[in-house]
Amino acid sequence: MGRLKFRMARKKILATSGLFAMGSMLLLPIFLALPALAGGGGGSAAGGPPPDVVAAQKAKAEAEGASAEEEKVEVGRDVYYKIEGPVVGGPAPKTEDSETFYPRYNFESRVLLWVANQQHLYYGSFVLAVPIFCMCIEFAGMVSKDKAMAKKYDQLAHDFIKISLTAYSLTAILGGILIFTFLTLYPAFFGYLSSIFRPVMHIYALMFVAESGCLYIYYYGWDKMTHGVMKWIHLSMSVVLNVIGTVLMFLANSWIAFMMSPAGIDEQGRYLGNIWHVLHTALWNPLNVHRILGNMAFGGGVVAAYAAYRFLSSKTDEERAHYDWMGYIAMSLGVAFLIPLPFAGYWLMREVYAYRQQMGITLMGGLLAWLFIIQATMIGILFLTTNYYLWQALGRMTGGERFQRYIKYLVFILVVGLLVFITPHTIVMSPAELKAMGGQQHPVLGNYGVMSAKNGGINAIIMTTVLSFIWYQRGNRVPAVKWARLGNTFMICFFTVAQLNNVWLAVYGYFIPANVRIGLSVPQVAGTLSCLFFMTPLNLAMLKGARQLGPIKWGKISPRSQYALIMLATAFTWMMGLMGYIRSSVRLFWHVNEVMRDNSPWAYTHTIGFAANIISFNVLFFWISILFVFWLGTLGMKSPVTAAAKEPVAGAPVPQPAAGH
Amino acid sequence: MTWLKLVEGYMPMQMISELAICILVFALLNYTLKRAGMGIPTFWAGILVWAFIQVYLKYRIYPPIPFSVRAIYGTVSACGVFMWVSGSEAAWQEFRRPIINVLDAVSPFHKAIRVVSLVVIPLLIGGFAYKSFLPSFEEPIELRTVHPAPPATTKVHGKTFVLQTSQNPYRVNPEGKYDQEFSNAATVVQDMGRLMKDVKDPKYNPWDPNAEGYIKYVREGGEIFFQNCHFCHGDNLNGRGLWAYAFNPIPANFTDAGTIAQLQETFVFWRVSQGGIGLPPEGFPWASVMPPWKEHLTTDEIWKVVMFEYWHTGYYPRTWD
Repeated sequence: MGRLKFRMARKKILATSGLFAMGSMLLLPIFLALPALAGGGGGSAAGGPPPDVVAAQKAKAEAEGASAEEEKVEVGRDVYYKIEGPVVGGPAPKTEDSETFYPRYNFESRVLLWVANQQHLYYGSFVLAVPIFCMCIEFAGMVSKDKAMAKKYDQLAHDFIKISLTAYSLTAILGGILIFTFLTLYPAFFGYLSSIFRPVMHIYALMFVAESGCLYIYYYGWDKMTHGVMKWIHLSMSVVLNVIGTVLMFLANSWIAFMMSPAGIDEQGRYLGNIWHVLHTALWNPLNVHRILGNMAFGGGVVAAYAAYRFLSSKTDEERAHYDWMGYIAMSLGVAFLIPLPFAGYWLMREVYAYRQQMGITLMGGLLAWLFIIQATMIGILFLTTNYYLWQALGRMTGGERFQRYIKYLVFILVVGLLVFITPHTIVMSPAELKAMGGQQHPVLGNYGVMSAKNGGINAIIMTTVLSFIWYQRGNRVPAVKWARLGNTFMICFFTVAQLNNVWLAVYGYFIPANVRIGLSVPQVAGTLSCLFFMTPLNLAMLKGARQLGPIKWGKISPRSQYALIMLATAFTWMMGLMGYIRSSVRLFWHVNEVMRDNSPWAYTHTIGFAANIISFNVLFFWISILFVFWLGTLGMKSPVTAAAKEPVAGAPVPQPAAGH
Repeated sequence: MTWLKLVEGYMPMQMISELAICILVFALLNYTLKRAGMGIPTFWAGILVWAFIQVYLKYRIYPPIPFSVRAIYGTVSACGVFMWVSGSEAAWQEFRRPIINVLDAVSPFHKAIRVVSLVVIPLLIGGFAYKSFLPSFEEPIELRTVHPAPPATTKVHGKTFVLQTSQNPYRVNPEGKYDQEFSNAATVVQDMGRLMKDVKDPKYNPWDPNAEGYIKYVREGGEIFFQNCHFCHGDNLNGRGLWAYAFNPIPANFTDAGTIAQLQETFVFWRVSQGGIGLPPEGFPWASVMPPWKEHLTTDEIWKVVMFEYWHTGYYPRTWD
């Protein structure tokens, strides 16, 4: 008994330390990217040249027989940090529309690059997100007390990484295609970019090798490292893998952030010798945070779609049960990262406005504003689809029908929130309609078209999603704690007050100065996050020892729910393509904003219709290719149900993949 | 529906509230009918709710909502209705029953509907397709950018102004320092009447002979406005001036929450000084005939008139702190 207790305690300590180590390692790249380091790190980071540059300059001076003091180093002023540094690079090339600067096929080079870039990004995001899921799921399996569940989780994580392995090769191939496209179609621009990022590019390549090594050890060591310390080492491998993956992504982000908001160079584009300044531009960190969350949501969506596809093509109830469960887990992980995504996006936009006001206005009020309306529509679709899936999932639980009768009220809030959220500020209308309206501004729509109302709209939608999730958690359970009535009343009051506060602030925003209005988003978001972070744990506390109304009937869910998952994934994919296009085209006619001008014949903004067609093509291409990857994955895969039947675990309810949520 | 007015300033919330009340009444009515065994079938209830929303948006809201926005609203409300009728398996089965009955032709009546549908639906689609190909004499739709992205700097009378950091030199407190909070406190009450806070107090009334500092500059801006701008932008700054309807689109309505209330004061300064002709090329078509006022007014006069526009509408210029 004492030994068992000791074992349990040891397991708990191991689990806690493992969790802590995982958390710290995952946060490592963020610590590394802290703004405080921008000015620190010794002389080199404070604006002076790094030691290697100084040494090189000294050596050169000595070789020429002149003293270091006599050496005159040309000094340039950083366009962003506004400090001086020695010029150690050439100026940005001044290109012109010719075959020398822009070699071309008989086709628009920009579109070729767009497609190559987007496909690489899709796969890159997928292979960065899936190992993080694997890590979480494997960890959940390791700390699970239920042995059957633990095995199921472990199998699920293994299945995930198997899919990711094929996608990983494809990512590398697409990366190669992307570099060749850059080199052959935009040699001057790519040459300039690589002259600035030379050391970073080498580190990037080395990190890629390390990532591959970790991934292969992680995957091929799965069956060898199954118990005890070895299992923990295996899990640690996934942590290392994810840290490397995250750093890789941050490095790649620094290139696009540099193109949008250059730093570390003077106004001619000459490198000033401080690589940290080049990396740490105004938009790097907001992009990092936004992208990591976006990748996770996207990865969850793709895996959920895979599960939905397998569910719909399943021949047996057991298979359906397994893929229903898999789809649910992937969807939950995806949505968990979707919820903070709008807030990360808000931060990114705030930083864009702070960096260049005209860039912000081009994005949200000017030339690209309609694309933002499409983006808002896609965000709305994501949240509506998530709600729909949760309502459908209530159908597989005895007692779920208690909540389904109230769906219509949630639908109303969601629809009104979405209508406000997607109302355009710049309305498309014929001149006749313009005359009938009496001007560009509509007294109703004009109010929905601005940020104050839109913040209210999206927060109402997110709060409703949280409520749907709480209903789902309660689907087949009735709280049995003594304070259940009090808890329910508190929850109802909390949600009501949060919604009223949200609406009130959205209206109040019209009557106060803009800088105060921007600040109002804080209490609005705080209300929404409070619903998420206080009400969900409260609900779980209330469900401790809850009365069960019946089991979850995995697999007994409507096919519509699975189409919802596919819709969710498609919307994620489309939105990623759209946002990538928006982010890139906000530079307008600049390769590197305000430093290197794009003088190719394609330095204009595409029409919305053309852009939408290319985005749709990218989405279609990705889904066709990933279906091929899925199919490849199934070739060597045993049926999860058959595998479970062959290796029975004592006490495992065979046909049911999971007993809890 | 003239007996129930849409009240200016409250229209957005009024529209949502009216829709909520109507749908709530419908839900209650249907619930009562269901209790009496005469509930409206889900199929018809769904269609009824959707149709009601479309009729409401088309005929209740004025000025009329352009088709593009009604199309968006129609699609979203159709999605909402679908989510409602298929939210639970029982509701979905009930909803699709009439459709399946028609497809299966379970009775002669259903068979007749199926036959009619098979003829009418292709004809309708063909009709729409034919109509869409017919030549039209309507002016084409222009996707106009209302808020053009401003340049980083603008040059007026030989002086360069950085739009992100410049400040209105007349928005000052009694000590002569730039003070937006001070000027915010002295604007008109932002209401339909747009009244001065205290007409007898020279701190709030620009036309008081003792008005000094900020409020005096507002009066000077007002004088410039009524000498130059009100012909197009209107006495009440709502874009309904004497000449307004000579232009398409008509001039900007400053009282709308979507115009100057969303902008930095320097943005308005740039727009006024450079006019329609000075707008950047990437946002074409501009469709603005406003003259470049730097050709007719001094820099100080432009700052003052901009300040008057904010004072009169009761809005505050956007700031980023």
